[in-house]
Amino acid sequence: MAGTEPSTIGARESRLIGVLMSADVGLLILIVAFFAAFWMFAPGFNSPFNLFGLSRFTAINIVIGLSMMVVIVTGGLDLSVGAMGVTAVMLAGWLMEVGGLPVPFAVAGGVALGAGLGALNGLVIVRTGVHSFIVTLATMSIYFGAMIVVTHAESFRNLPADFSTLAKLRWFGFVSPTLLVAGGAALGLFVLYRFTALGRRMLAAGANPRAAEMSGVPVRRVVTLCHMLGGALAALAGMLLAMRTGAAIPSMAGNLGQDWLLPAFLGPVLGGTALTGGRVSVLGTVLGATLVTVLTSGLLLLQVGEFWVQFFLGALLLGAVLLERARILLLGARRLVA
Amino acid sequence: MNVHRTTGIAISLAMAVAASVALADQTTKVALVPGGPHPYFAAWEQAGKDAMRDFHLGAADYKVPPKWELSQQNQLIESLAAQGYNGFLIFPGDPVGTRSTVEELADMKVPVIALAGCLQDPSKAEFCLGTDTGNSAYIGTKKLIELMGGKGKIAHFTGFLVDPNTKLRMDAVEKAVKEAGGGVTLIQTIADIDAPEPAQEKINAFLAAQGANVDGIVTTAWIPAVTAATTLRKIGDKRIKMVGIDHDEVVLAAVKDGFVNGTMLQNPYGQGYIGAFAIDRLRSGCTPKPDAPWKTTAQTTHFIDSGTAYVDKATVDTYIDQMRAVTKSIMADFAAKYLVCK
Amino acid sequence: MKALLRQDWFGLAALAAAAIAAITAIRPDFLSPFNVFVLLGTVSLALVIALGQMVVIAIGQMNLALGAIGGVVAVAFAGMMQVWSIPVPLAVAGGLLIGAACGLATGVLTARAGLSAFVVTLAALSMFKGINLGITKAQPFYGVAAGVKAFGAGSVAGPVPWVLVPAVLVAVAVAVLLARLPLGRQILAVGGNSHAAELSGIGIARATIAAHVISGLLAAVAGMLAVARLAIGQPTIGDDWLIPSFAAPVIGGAALAGGYVSVTGTAFGVLIVALITQALVLFAVDPYYVQLLLGLLILGAVGLNRLREVRRERAA
Repeated sequence: MAGTEPSTIGARESRLIGVLMSADVGLLILIVAFFAAFWMFAPGFNSPFNLFGLSRFTAINIVIGLSMMVVIVTGGLDLSVGAMGVTAVMLAGWLMEVGGLPVPFAVAGGVALGAGLGALNGLVIVRTGVHSFIVTLATMSIYFGAMIVVTHAESFRNLPADFSTLAKLRWFGFVSPTLLVAGGAALGLFVLYRFTALGRRMLAAGANPRAAEMSGVPVRRVVTLCHMLGGALAALAGMLLAMRTGAAIPSMAGNLGQDWLLPAFLGPVLGGTALTGGRVSVLGTVLGATLVTVLTSGLLLLQVGEFWVQFFLGALLLGAVLLERARILLLGARRLVA
Repeated sequence: MNVHRTTGIAISLAMAVAASVALADQTTKVALVPGGPHPYFAAWEQAGKDAMRDFHLGAADYKVPPKWELSQQNQLIESLAAQGYNGFLIFPGDPVGTRSTVEELADMKVPVIALAGCLQDPSKAEFCLGTDTGNSAYIGTKKLIELMGGKGKIAHFTGFLVDPNTKLRMDAVEKAVKEAGGGVTLIQTIADIDAPEPAQEKINAFLAAQGANVDGIVTTAWIPAVTAATTLRKIGDKRIKMVGIDHDEVVLAAVKDGFVNGTMLQNPYGQGYIGAFAIDRLRSGCTPKPDAPWKTTAQTTHFIDSGTAYVDKATVDTYIDQMRAVTKSIMADFAAKYLVCK
Repeated sequence: MKALLRQDWFGLAALAAAAIAAITAIRPDFLSPFNVFVLLGTVSLALVIALGQMVVIAIGQMNLALGAIGGVVAVAFAGMMQVWSIPVPLAVAGGLLIGAACGLATGVLTARAGLSAFVVTLAALSMFKGINLGITKAQPFYGVAAGVKAFGAGSVAGPVPWVLVPAVLVAVAVAVLLARLPLGRQILAVGGNSHAAELSGIGIARATIAAHVISGLLAAVAGMLAVARLAIGQPTIGDDWLIPSFAAPVIGGAALAGGYVSVTGTAFGVLIVALITQALVLFAVDPYYVQLLLGLLILGAVGLNRLREVRRERAA
């Protein structure tokens, strides 16, 4: 079949087209478009109060998305992110309130527990060969259940005041510094996957474990590390959420931590991290999480009738991905013709 | 969208932003925010409308978070504040987790009353108007023990363990059992069943295993009450005594037909109506009276009981009137009793 | 006999049998007719839900909207009976139609618009749940026809509940579809290797749409069964179907990447989870420990099964 020969486009133009066609730019365009639309038509969207809340919520959703992303890279998934996050926060709460530890040590302790639980997930997965879905389904119950047994579902409400300061700070009246924490985590992961040997090994192990094993990658150890990283990030997300509420409460991620599952998947999947593993887009995850947060926030303000918000959220999401698809097709078609 | 409308919107937005959200609008605009979609709060909608009409409020709107999730409720509250609501009646998604959002509202001089559920002290809510869930469970269990003649085995079906109300209810049931002397034993507590399928599965399994052994059932959450009532009717049992909670049609019908002995009613309509009234008064310069007859619960020292009633076969047909009467009596001297006004 | 032992699901069957034996040894009334009736009732609904997801897993995708479709059909079914007094057979047909339409929508968007099934069914989840809430405002429909309630509560004979009948019919139909009918084999082929399938002339789009429509139909059946059992049209039906809908097929040996599923395995997966939940109630386990024990027991069950697989692979 004779195809149309692309005319000679210069190297710079083709790179520009490559960038423009990338999913990340598509997401960015969508975010800007919806943000602008809400700014104009949703009452109160541009109030400093709303923007501040939006920035805090975005930071949390980004980190939740990142924690799932690092596991998706291995070709698996982790249903226990919420459970790990809550358990880590409860430990930190206990360390602060009962143990009297200063805030940074307690937070570090919580993150360490998250990493440990994640590592446990990873170990069970690689040693038994059982699919990560089932393993993390079980550990979701185990971790949450153990937390309930130990804490008897009691919250820690008398945390030291400086635990929440980060969440209460307001820069320029409408931006939360917690975004920096999320951004820092994202940046760290970007460097990991782009520039370090470990990161490349993680991608290789996810893309084709057998081939990776044969070329000397310790696949089992690498997969466990990915899960450990996921657990640590889940704990971090939990800390950000707890700072916002000022207390360590067992219900902060819902029963069994399942409230985190949809946001955890949405960010990476919208952002182009394939569920089959081996490919990752940190920027995409950040943008994906941001898009969903902006959509939810804007919809709540549009007064579409409280019971219809969920419907419009789904419709907008669908519209967003369809637009994205159309954009890629259009750009692709133009390129062939140009 | 033409230029004029866009400019108009831009100008009014600028004005809204320039003038502080809470103080620019002189009329009271109350938002009634439950924890999530749930039939219990349906009465709030009508209560808000009636309050708006009776007290000449700018708005008294029932706004429901799309899911029963703490973060969704927080987001909704923040966005409602950004939209200009200057008074809030909130069922806390979590007694501790909702405190910081309430604090943000208080910082903007927006009064908040905890409704149907309380925040854990210390909080910036003006006070809590609701049912004392622990007390309601206590009374319900005592009624059940009375119906059983003071001895026998009972089971307790309740809601999610991560909901602090559940622990209060479990403690209350245990207390009532202990006070009955040695005659009554609590043979099983099943929690985490405030959802249709787990409730069906576990309540059916329980009745299959212990149906012949148990003498009384107390339920302290909406869905287990409905499911237990349905199941007792299905197996045609009138021997096992049951005390339910709330006013679901299924439960009330079961009370009428003798499968359930009675139910502990709460007063959602009264909560919404009185709460909206109170917010309006608080915005007009009144403050809570320090030496008012506040009640103390496990969660707060500024509690007003919105009324609970035990309804059985004899009174089930007139329960709405009963609750209206309770609401009326609370309203009669509410302002004088609980508020001090300039 | 040897063929039986080699079946993938034999390990699960053995596990289930062992569990039943152990529980009955401690509590003989576990096998009482009423208890078996209760167990079969739970299993019936769970099986249809699991099969609804299994069909989409077969094609290598996920149907996140399964519960939401079930919920919409459930309230529509109850609503049709209450608000318009539509006779039961028509209401059932209407429910099935709605389920198929929902499946058609997600299938077409996935197959023809080139969007990932994950995102499409996730958006659909929100939209269908939103429609559900918009119609019901979180209030159940109470006016379910007496015949439906009787169906949900009654038994064919002794401990066999009526609701088991549609569940078994559905299971047989799906098994026949996947094993014997060309459409079923095409679905499995596309799930196993979509490139190879395409090269051998199988329409990927057609198989995808078919899988989604069947999933929607099964979700509809499950939704209506739930209404029959609960005796009311609860808007929250389907809210927590997501995880169980994946768990049973995967425990039963399905490959999440597609191409391999097992109806019998799924059935045993459903049975094992139901047995564990029932046992926890039966033994009056302290409510604070229930979640923890549930997770440990599921992990144990899967681990045991896996051990047997590993031993068998080594012996081969």
